[in-house]
Amino acid sequence: MTLQAQASSSFAVGIPSLTSPLGGSSHRLVVRAKVEPSDKSVEIMRKFSEQYARKSGTYFCVDKGVTSVVIKGLADHKDSLGAPLCPCRHYDDKPAEAGQGFWNCPCVPMRERKECHCMLFLTPDNDFAGKEQAISLEEIKESTANM
Amino acid sequence: MAVSVSVLTIASLDWGSSNRLAAPSKLSPATSLQFPPRTRKFRFGNTGVYFPSQPRVLPLVKAKKQSFSSFDDLLANSDKPVLVDFYATWCGPCQFMGPVLNEVGTLLQDKIQVVKIDTEKYPSIADKFRIEALPTFILFRDGEPYDRFEGALTADQLVQRIEGSLKVKQ
Repeated sequence: MTLQAQASSSFAVGIPSLTSPLGGSSHRLVVRAKVEPSDKSVEIMRKFSEQYARKSGTYFCVDKGVTSVVIKGLADHKDSLGAPLCPCRHYDDKPAEAGQGFWNCPCVPMRERKECHCMLFLTPDNDFAGKEQAISLEEIKESTANM
Repeated sequence: MAVSVSVLTIASLDWGSSNRLAAPSKLSPATSLQFPPRTRKFRFGNTGVYFPSQPRVLPLVKAKKQSFSSFDDLLANSDKPVLVDFYATWCGPCQFMGPVLNEVGTLLQDKIQVVKIDTEKYPSIADKFRIEALPTFILFRDGEPYDRFEGALTADQLVQRIEGSLKVKQ
């Protein structure tokens, strides 16, 4: 408990960043230490996201920080659960959900209705949709550097 | 972290293991955490609100650091409506809302208090309020949920929603 808190605070020393990756504002976003997903999974989910955006005719968010965080969230679940469970939901039992599959990316709402509340895949009419269907590993790393 | 750690033994809760898996919650949804009153503390420091001996609940801009013995306690001790943001670390829209909440919290500081709950650190609280999609915002008034909505929105939209909601008198 306190150990965890102390470990977090010593790890999450504010890494100076010139620009805030998210929201475009100038202040630093500090998130307590979190286990990072493996590079391999991040790369897999990055490629998947690019391919699926193209295939579904959807676009990444104007704020690529959002895209980056979701990709990492998917990678994190892939590491811990074996499947890319949607990171934008709260679950009673994650392993059960991952096994069941409804919320594994691409989830059923996305496949059926192009609804992605993670703001990963956005239809062109969405206010937050950008024009890109590509994101580099470097972009992901930069956007999430202070997490 | 050492600043406001009041050694609060939370009987029958094991927060240490509640990292990712839904820790078996020994909190009955109907009751609030029961703690000896003497362990309650209020501290004024940097920012943030958290439950003693546990990781911080959230960083708040320009907010007092306070420690509460329970979420119910937090709600009860607020003289203003409380906007609670239920989020998760790797949820993109939740992170997007960080700066938005800071801005709105400042803009409406006389009207509301803003609190963020990490649903992975406090799954029992998330369960209690049947949180599903993230982010979910619940506006509490007099300790009870008053308005509830999901998804990311801009600062303007959020202000509109809150002010519109609070205007409706009971």
